[in-house]
Amino acid sequence: MAVAIREIQIPLLALVLLGACAAKLARTVRTRSVNAGLGPTELFPRRLRRLAAIAICCTELALAPALILTAGRFGSHERGDAVRLATAVLFLIALCGLVELREHRPDLGCGCFGDLSVKPVGIRSIARAGLLAVAALVTIGLPPLHLPPPGARAATGLGIMVGELLLLALLSPEAGEALMRLGYTEPCELREFTAKRALTALHRSRLWRKQSALVTGEPADMWRELCWWYLVYPASGQAPGTSLVFAVQVKQHRPAIRSALAGPEPPSWPGQPVPDAGEVAPVMRSAAF
Amino acid sequence: MQDRGGDLTCCARCGGPGTAARIADRRRYKAAVFSSPYPGLTLWPGAADPAARTEGLGTSAPFPAVVTGTATDVSPHVLVVANAGGEQRFSLPTGAVAWRGKLVPPTIIRAGDQLTVRIPAGRRDVADKIWVGIGRVTGTIVERHGDSLLVDEGATKPPQAVVISPGASSRIQVRFPRLEPGHLVDVIGLRQGATLEALLPATSQPTYRADRMPRLSPVTGLTYGSISGSATWHEPTGLAPAEGVAYPAIDPASGCAEAAASSGPGCASLPYLAVGSMLLVRNECTGRSRLLPVTGCGAVARLFSDRCLTCGTSPRGRVADLTLASFVGLGGDLERGCFNAAIAIGA
Repeated sequence: MAVAIREIQIPLLALVLLGACAAKLARTVRTRSVNAGLGPTELFPRRLRRLAAIAICCTELALAPALILTAGRFGSHERGDAVRLATAVLFLIALCGLVELREHRPDLGCGCFGDLSVKPVGIRSIARAGLLAVAALVTIGLPPLHLPPPGARAATGLGIMVGELLLLALLSPEAGEALMRLGYTEPCELREFTAKRALTALHRSRLWRKQSALVTGEPADMWRELCWWYLVYPASGQAPGTSLVFAVQVKQHRPAIRSALAGPEPPSWPGQPVPDAGEVAPVMRSAAF
Repeated sequence: MQDRGGDLTCCARCGGPGTAARIADRRRYKAAVFSSPYPGLTLWPGAADPAARTEGLGTSAPFPAVVTGTATDVSPHVLVVANAGGEQRFSLPTGAVAWRGKLVPPTIIRAGDQLTVRIPAGRRDVADKIWVGIGRVTGTIVERHGDSLLVDEGATKPPQAVVISPGASSRIQVRFPRLEPGHLVDVIGLRQGATLEALLPATSQPTYRADRMPRLSPVTGLTYGSISGSATWHEPTGLAPAEGVAYPAIDPASGCAEAAASSGPGCASLPYLAVGSMLLVRNECTGRSRLLPVTGCGAVARLFSDRCLTCGTSPRGRVADLTLASFVGLGGDLERGCFNAAIAIGA
């Protein structure tokens, strides 16, 4: 069992290193900057930050395949151990860097997995770096690896790997961020919905056709608040200062539309302070689509 | 906020002169259509508290009040401040302090100094802290000549001139290593006419350029709870209401041209609100909360994904850019630049 646990660390470490490097490269391509968002590089003097960022990415990119290639019969015992030791050193340096970052720049994310590492460095990120360093250290001295034959041994290896991946996910603030982005559907209060679309939806509505006789000219005011667009028109044939207000829901299909005539008096929502006693409620008539 | 050159459509629907009337009108229109100010929402408990609401609107004063103006007379125990409302006399208790680049005794104030005076809760004529000539510039650097910077604070404000004080240069460069065009800057200092003499970094410089912002995960808690983050302050323009919030996510489709120049949509992804929306803002460091109207677009605030380090690290970047008076009223220290805050939809 102990040997199986040690053996499984090598592909797992390679996977983590490749993932980290790919996320950093994706961020580099998107921001067109090598060291943007790489928290630990902020600890270096400014002229060395870019170099440090490139070094981190290249080291990860080099170690991941080297771990796999030197694990089997192609790698000599010494070469394999050297790569594993280098991996352990990388994670130990990362651990120290994260501790320093937490102490001196608690506002920065670790940048370990590119855009996903935006939260400030916490205990979990530090514990993860420590776990990975230990994982790399325990692989030193392992004999060449072979794929286990199908059966109980392979299942044990797979189970250990899944368990450790789960543990790493628990220690990774990035896991929640990634899951959120994968399963994210934009709620209406964040959805882009232009004024033109709101006007189009309004003009197609039955409510608009019913009340268009009251509308004069262009909207006097229009604004978006959370999941509703509000469009205000001066109302014709009513008391001076009266407006016709439409509310159009931010929704792709069949948005709800409401309307009301608003008098010049202040609002009177339940519990709302009313400036002067004896005022008439402003709602004269309202309708829903 | 002021229009720059008068050739921008903004702020017909953003903060500016007439904002108070616009806020009242919009509340009236919404009340006509909906029986609740925020249809379909369960409001944060504090938002329904009439006390918080009344206090937030400034009709009672259990919170520190703020007076800004020019010092006309100073003695060891009395300070006289003049502004458009006339002259106000404040007594200076033993513990009163002033800030002029650093904390100093109030006796350092001279007639003619521009002051921001904090009046303790429940008092009317006592000043417990005075900021002398404090100013802040937050935005994107557009030019640099030696220690002088020209900073873009958004399309509706004129570019701001900043001179980095020789004595503060190293302190600022530690937090803002890239004082070059395209990078963000946020400094606090002393106003010398139209120029700010930068003395303190208000935050740490984001690692990205203003036009290459990272994508951050969207924040949706506003509709069913509160959103925590950093609350900062900005200087009054003289035309905008003294109390209020510049919110970083005013829907650009509302016709607001206050986007910061040379920038994208910003990294703050917050629920869209409008000028006139009410926000309950709580200072997590002091526990004070106030209901404040959204009075403008936080065009520059949305470019920063920094963290506030006052009383712990804020979980995200800027969620509210308060007016100077609102910031002090909520218990913020102007020289700190920010406090950890929670915002929620208010009624």
